[in-house]
Amino acid sequence: MTDIAAAPSRSRNVGFPAVLAVLGAAGCALPFLVQSPLLLTLMTQATINAVLATGVGFLLRQNGTVSFGHAAFFGLAAYATALLIKFGLPAELAIVLAVVLPTLLALLLGVVIVRITGVAFSMLTLAVAQAFHELFLKWRELANGDDGMAIAFPAKVFGLDIAIFQQPASMFLVCWLALVGVILGLWLLARSRFGTLTLAIRENEERARYIGYRTVLPRAIIYAISAAVCALGGLLFALYNGFVSPGTLHWSLSGEALIMAIIGGPRLIWGPALGGVIFFFIKNAAGDFTDHWPAVIGITLILVTVLLPRGVGGLLVWLGRRAGGGRGE
Amino acid sequence: MTTSAYAIEGIDMTRRFGGFAALDGVSLAVPHGEIRGLIGPNGAGKSTLMDVLTGRAQTWSGRVLMDGRDISGLGAVERRRAGLARSFQRTNIFPDLTIDEQIRLAAATAERDNSDEVMAELGLADLAHRRAADVSYGDQRRLDLALALVGRPRVLLLDEPAAGLSMQESMVLAGILRDLAGRWGVTVLLVEHDMEVIFSICSRVTVLHLGKILADGTPDEIRRIPEVVTAYLGSSVE
Repeated sequence: MTDIAAAPSRSRNVGFPAVLAVLGAAGCALPFLVQSPLLLTLMTQATINAVLATGVGFLLRQNGTVSFGHAAFFGLAAYATALLIKFGLPAELAIVLAVVLPTLLALLLGVVIVRITGVAFSMLTLAVAQAFHELFLKWRELANGDDGMAIAFPAKVFGLDIAIFQQPASMFLVCWLALVGVILGLWLLARSRFGTLTLAIRENEERARYIGYRTVLPRAIIYAISAAVCALGGLLFALYNGFVSPGTLHWSLSGEALIMAIIGGPRLIWGPALGGVIFFFIKNAAGDFTDHWPAVIGITLILVTVLLPRGVGGLLVWLGRRAGGGRGE
Repeated sequence: MTTSAYAIEGIDMTRRFGGFAALDGVSLAVPHGEIRGLIGPNGAGKSTLMDVLTGRAQTWSGRVLMDGRDISGLGAVERRRAGLARSFQRTNIFPDLTIDEQIRLAAATAERDNSDEVMAELGLADLAHRRAADVSYGDQRRLDLALALVGRPRVLLLDEPAAGLSMQESMVLAGILRDLAGRWGVTVLLVEHDMEVIFSICSRVTVLHLGKILADGTPDEIRRIPEVVTAYLGSSVE
């Protein structure tokens, strides 16, 4: 299963931040170019998806493990925002805690579950996430169960009008900048000694111990970082929608994030984000024609897995290198 | 500070797999700076002994001392940090990392970073920025050795470092080992089937057979013990 990211091609190119800056700036121009509110809404939702997929993909890339439960951190962040505000905390503090609490939970959980490998790890992540889903589904007094709950944001958050976070044009900018920041942060982390260590552990955990490294905590930290990214996605979702339901915790969302990561290419830090955008637009385009849009996603996944084992991102890198006069490998 | 005449000692080491004793009450002590050969037929318990000494074995009895300090309760990570390094019978590297990345990573846990020196000594400097998966088998074996050597461990346990190498490559490796052990004062326990390597660099040789020590002595003494010749050396050694 983990062969999907068997040999992550680490971005050593220091020009990457420059490319990212250009793409970031180009993305910031989009709300001024796109007039359709519907398209802006889709772009915002796609960017939130991209943040979620980036978190799942980073875990796959650095630890080589497949999580079917990262929607838990996405949903927990959204619920934490709603509940902490409901219980009277200032919205700003609730927003910070919405990312911090799931991250801490992931770190504690990670110290235990990263010791398990392969399918057992994936099943464990699934079980934990579904436990949270059931909790919020059944505990009506806390969070209205299946009906979900509206989030009572104040009129201003961090001194900004809440409308900034709930109108597609401005929220797209917020989400886009968050995504660019996440990708840059993860890229820097992957290039650090800690990033190299986690790749080494992923490649050969036993040998890592025999060169003097404990292996559980670094894996747990990667697990927590990937959860933090998903929690950030959940926070953006909560801010944008002002509403949260148990669906945000469901394993199917975790599965979708994994599919996004594979379509985009988990060997690249930015691949899953690309996959998130592709997934979202395929889903919406196919959804206009048929209720069976998951079949279209499934066919896409099969085609990418068979024809583009490094994902669409890998194809773009290959084309870019060919265009630059390289061998395309 | 040295507190014992021996760099590494294993006392009454036993490891069983069900009813089979892979290691049966073996005691072994290697003085500081010595290159000790450990030979024996397949299944004699050589790799098991290495596993017990380095903390890889999960269930075993006996004691392991390093410089007189009991390290029996320490795991592999703590033993490495205490200065006990090992290489493996099968090439055990990080295929997707560059040679430079993994050697520097290994050096980061040691008191001193001698990455450049190790890469130069083992002829890996020119390959430093290549992925380990992309270099030849011989280079990968030297990388495996480099991962053990970096940081100048006090005790080095090498499990068939010459396996799969040509005779010429083996002798070059033997020369490097002898040279580094002499200059750095590293104590080496060397498991090897290549008798040319063993007899050319080891000052003493211990022979294991069926989980027990069959003989122990200088290479010349070992060559003349009939039981050793019968059990392992055969007629291949003059």
